[in-house]
Amino acid sequence: MEFIDIDPGQGIATQQSNKNYQTGQIVQANATGFGAASDDFMERGIDLNEQLISNKPATFFFRVNSDAMLGAGIHIGDTLIVDRSIPPASGKVVVAILNGEFLVRRLQLQSHSVTLIPENKKYGNIQVAQLEDYRTWGIVTFVIHAL
Amino acid sequence: MQAIVDCNSFYCSCERLFQPKLQNAPVVVLSNNDGCIVSRSDEAKALGINMAIPFFQAKDLIEQNKIFAFSSNYHLYGDLSWRVMETMRQLLPPGCVEVYSVDEAFLDLNHIPNEQLHTYCIELKNKIETWTGISVSIGVGPNKVLSKVANRLAKKNKIKTNCIVVLDDAKKIQAALQQTPIEDVWGIGFSYSEKLKTYGIQTAYALSIKDMSWGKRFLGGVVGIKLIRGLKGLQSHGMQAPRTEKKMIATTRMFGRDVTKWQEIEEALATYATRATEKLRRQHSAARGVSVFLVRKGPANPDASYFTHGKQLSGYTLLDNPSNLTPDIIKAVVEIGKYLFEEGSVYKKAGVILSEFVPDNAMQTNLFVAPADEKRKKLMNVIDNMNAAYRDDILKFGTSGTHKNWKMRSERRSKRYTTRWSELCVVR
Repeated sequence: MEFIDIDPGQGIATQQSNKNYQTGQIVQANATGFGAASDDFMERGIDLNEQLISNKPATFFFRVNSDAMLGAGIHIGDTLIVDRSIPPASGKVVVAILNGEFLVRRLQLQSHSVTLIPENKKYGNIQVAQLEDYRTWGIVTFVIHAL
Repeated sequence: MQAIVDCNSFYCSCERLFQPKLQNAPVVVLSNNDGCIVSRSDEAKALGINMAIPFFQAKDLIEQNKIFAFSSNYHLYGDLSWRVMETMRQLLPPGCVEVYSVDEAFLDLNHIPNEQLHTYCIELKNKIETWTGISVSIGVGPNKVLSKVANRLAKKNKIKTNCIVVLDDAKKIQAALQQTPIEDVWGIGFSYSEKLKTYGIQTAYALSIKDMSWGKRFLGGVVGIKLIRGLKGLQSHGMQAPRTEKKMIATTRMFGRDVTKWQEIEEALATYATRATEKLRRQHSAARGVSVFLVRKGPANPDASYFTHGKQLSGYTLLDNPSNLTPDIIKAVVEIGKYLFEEGSVYKKAGVILSEFVPDNAMQTNLFVAPADEKRKKLMNVIDNMNAAYRDDILKFGTSGTHKNWKMRSERRSKRYTTRWSELCVVR
């Protein structure tokens, strides 16, 4: 029953029945003290969704399991925020499907070619061949990295 | 004009979104407890997999053809369904989207000029697919009945129509109706279609040229008139107000295996009662009627052992005061269950049904409700909020147990990619 004690309404009710004079004091304090003044400035707390998600029905999360994009600040274990409603363009970091595998890379689009570029010297560029099964799945908009 | 947007092989499409290997492969999704096939990809249809057949009957065909079979992943489907509906709500004016089922919605397109309807539908379809990864078919007609006719044709000729059919003039409507067998008309069940065929009516067109008085006489009065009017393109159903409150809430499941012990039945019933009561609180109702049923395992029969249900036992009680507090409902449910349960029997299924609803606020003003209830109501609120925030019911009542051996079978379920941090899709 610990939750009930957290409820401020409940607390006041208990005091009311036990020590009536205290209730009066509390109400007065509320009406004149700092508490009441700051109430005028009450607003909703900061919501990370507002900052990180611009189109909710099109936004998905992925888990990184590769160091191929280390240079872009994407580490193993990080969470990627991916927006499918942003059109693919050269220079964007994308989640793509190549031959049945999900990859995160920087996209380079030229008139007739698609290249996936890593940001780690251990890996090479991937030139997507004409007949390969390739799809850009979505655009990476943010990476969540624990320090 | 009205449209119906229908997701193509919805559950299979959801599975494909995070599993590229399924892209052009045959896929099926099974119902609760892996019982029946409830969704098939086009490739699976082409291999001769029929809708709603029991999984065990199709097992050989599935293995021979290397068809991917999945248990229902309702967390994933529910989330993607919301995304599809939300996309449409964002793209259309307020009140123009009426969600009809998990994968279908009616749209009011009266704000789009007729000559632009086709282009509009292409844009809408592309946007839904880009944003959510789910492909849809769109049928458009002067009313809901005809939009359904259009949608069926769009799905039947995907390549030719690009999944969009707009019936915007009398000639197109007539041609569409001629291609629609009577049993495929929205709202005509099996028995009506059989009856209509005895009058020589084989197609939707044949019914549409009957007059209203014929419909009134031979097709169930007002319903018949409405249907014929619809097929003639006359009457529009209009948009329905969004989901009304339910008059009854049922939670029922097959057990994953044979259950014989009272303790397990009790745990199951308490869990169902908890679920049903949560739904009850969400719609701000309180229930007076509580019923419970138990289904025994049927007699062993080698040909159809999966589908013979045994004897069904049920009991019903009326609470003194309507309630939406979990402990009240659990208490009633367990009492009925105890009465129905027989030692030595094998049980396959159980369920809890709540009925006789009153509004929650009417209950609060009841003079006879003990004030202590206010405290308990607050507690329920805390539990509901915590469970919503942390998932997996971290706060439970003692009777619900913690083992859940009887829990639903879902051996082939994919990950809950969009609702669980621990099950996100991995990218390399």
